[in-house]
Amino acid sequence: MKKLIITAVAIGLGTIALADTPASILKSYEAEAGAAGSVARGQDLFMSQHTGGKPDTPSCTTCHTSNLKASGQTRVGKTIGPMAVSANPERLTDAAFAAKWLRRNCKSVLGRECDAQEKADIIAYLMSL
Amino acid sequence: MSRQQNPTDCEPSVPVWDKFVRIFHWSLVLCIFTAMVTGFLMGPEMVPVHVYAATTATVLLFLRILWGFFGPTYARFSSFTFSPRTIFRHALAVRSGHAKRYLGHNPLGGAMILALIAAIALLGVTGAVVLGGVLKIGPLAGYASYMTGDVAKEVHESIALFLLVLVVGHIGGVAFESKHANDPLVPAMVTGKKPARDGDVKSPTVRVYLRTMVVVSALGLAITVGGMTAMASKKSANMPVTNISPLVADECTACHMFYHPSLMPAKSWAALTATLDDHFGEDASLDEDTTAEIRDWLMTHASETADTQPANIFTRALADGAFTLTETRFWKQMHHEFSDADFSAAPVYTKSNCAACHKDASTGMFSPFKIEE
Repeated sequence: MKKLIITAVAIGLGTIALADTPASILKSYEAEAGAAGSVARGQDLFMSQHTGGKPDTPSCTTCHTSNLKASGQTRVGKTIGPMAVSANPERLTDAAFAAKWLRRNCKSVLGRECDAQEKADIIAYLMSL
Repeated sequence: MSRQQNPTDCEPSVPVWDKFVRIFHWSLVLCIFTAMVTGFLMGPEMVPVHVYAATTATVLLFLRILWGFFGPTYARFSSFTFSPRTIFRHALAVRSGHAKRYLGHNPLGGAMILALIAAIALLGVTGAVVLGGVLKIGPLAGYASYMTGDVAKEVHESIALFLLVLVVGHIGGVAFESKHANDPLVPAMVTGKKPARDGDVKSPTVRVYLRTMVVVSALGLAITVGGMTAMASKKSANMPVTNISPLVADECTACHMFYHPSLMPAKSWAALTATLDDHFGEDASLDEDTTAEIRDWLMTHASETADTQPANIFTRALADGAFTLTETRFWKQMHHEFSDADFSAAPVYTKSNCAACHKDASTGMFSPFKIEE
């Protein structure tokens, strides 16, 4: 019985920890940036070709394609779920996951980490689709 | 004068090769031909065909050996086992053109049959050791190490070359006799009948122990299959880890297939996990603690700990700490028949997507029996 309660509590806490929403993630980056995310800037950043990053990944669209409501593909053929929040209920529901991939992929594409404003812009764009 | 006659015209035909011997002979020809072509000329994806053909050959051979004790006159070992002296004398007589004609196998032909049987039997035994030691399948999987299997492979290949020489000799001998003694040996192995001639060396007629043959072969096969099944239940030592770390699986398969830790030595895993920020052209970095946990698990189960073929080969090929499997000579050798376009086409996309064809890639086994193109 004791074990059961502990398990239930653990699952409950786990659920709370995972209970991020696109809005809450956006809000935390906006708070850090001190300004609202811009859909237009986010779209521009996402769709543009960049030169500062790794040669194999000049753009977000290299893997995610320019149709964000459809699935993308890693360079080794693995499917990536749609980026648009409207097309993928799991998108932007785990802040740590989002942070990890924003950090990695900005470095791959831009050759540097994105700042909080850029992250807020991208998230705002993905939420607008 | 009689040598110039058409043998079927006025010579009486007598039965020599019974039905079993004939079916056995041509089935064995088919099996050995298949095993030779797949073994000498074809790639790893043909290993299953090689093994099936070779196993069939071994079973056929087993039955033929028993038939050599219980079968009719000219199927018997006693009819074609001659002393080295007789064989030598017969060889000399063939040279001088005065050899006697044997209705069954002549002494040289009989020696050839014994050599063929011995070579194929040895191929069966060494092949089973290769299967067990290298591929970790079959009755010897739990008994033979990779190193044993690898040595057996060398021996197996040498005997196979020797068998090829024997086969050429066998066909050459048949061709020689057909031409010089005007003896239709090939049709005889189809119809079973040979022309009887004056002065033929004949073997004393013996009776056939058909019931004994059936009982002994059924018993022999049952005991062999039972024994092999019992042996196959022994687990091989040092198999690749099957209890996969969920963290490693999650993080590594976010972008690509799961590469089993037994595919690379610890040094390579250390080097790979130290450079995740530039991981085959992408940033795959993780926080320090996560990276360390992943690295430690990979190094704990690295190729040095497993006795599979990939583990043994890549331990050596990547001894310098390199971690690109597709750059190794072994990898290139095994995949030389494929072009870059074969790899870039869907659903493979890249050389690194082993699992596209190797259905057991995530286990680290890479069995030739699990290849689907």
